[in-house]
Amino acid sequence: MSETSLATAPPTRAPVDPWAPCLLAWLLPGLGHIYLGRKRTGLVFLAVVMATFFLGIASSGAASLLDPRQPLTYLATFDNLAVGPVEIISRFATYGGLVYRMPPDEGDPRVADLTDRVRRRVRSVTYEYGNTFLLTAGLMNMLLILDAFDIATGRKD
Amino acid sequence: MIRSHFLNMVVFSGLVAVFFAYLTQSGARDRLRVTLIIGGSMVVLSLIVAYVMYPFPLR
Repeated sequence: MSETSLATAPPTRAPVDPWAPCLLAWLLPGLGHIYLGRKRTGLVFLAVVMATFFLGIASSGAASLLDPRQPLTYLATFDNLAVGPVEIISRFATYGGLVYRMPPDEGDPRVADLTDRVRRRVRSVTYEYGNTFLLTAGLMNMLLILDAFDIATGRKD
Repeated sequence: MIRSHFLNMVVFSGLVAVFFAYLTQSGARDRLRVTLIIGGSMVVLSLIVAYVMYPFPLR
């Protein structure tokens, strides 16, 4: 390699374990990018995903519960969880506690209580917007986790 | 809480546009361009779809 091409070659980055930025990106949106040296981009991602998430809660969006009678709830709950531990706030806002599963027995008194809590949010005029914001925040963070993985493995500059 | 449908749509479009601009572009100018294109497209297309739906009520 000539001296000129050495001077213009991009700096090589030390190899990074790709799972570390992925885990960090899940723990806090944008943290994976900050870990990879993209501080400004990571902070923008943090602001955008958190704004989307908290607007979802403020707009009466409801966290989804696993319900075997409604298979799509598995996808929605997985999507809710993708936003990271901060997702717990939406559980407390919706159900008043850490609930992830609808009791299988319809006669269980908890079913009526949980359904009633969701109905209270459904009555809000912004419920659909809130749900959309909450689900979008989860989808955004899934993309951020995959993006952090691609950057760490060198698939993306 | 934002109660206006239009404002909700604009805020949502803005957040999604900024997200994808930062995800897919690296330069500040490119990010701004992509933000405007995605955000503007989402708002304009939503309004077009809304007007197209207007003569076709569900019931």
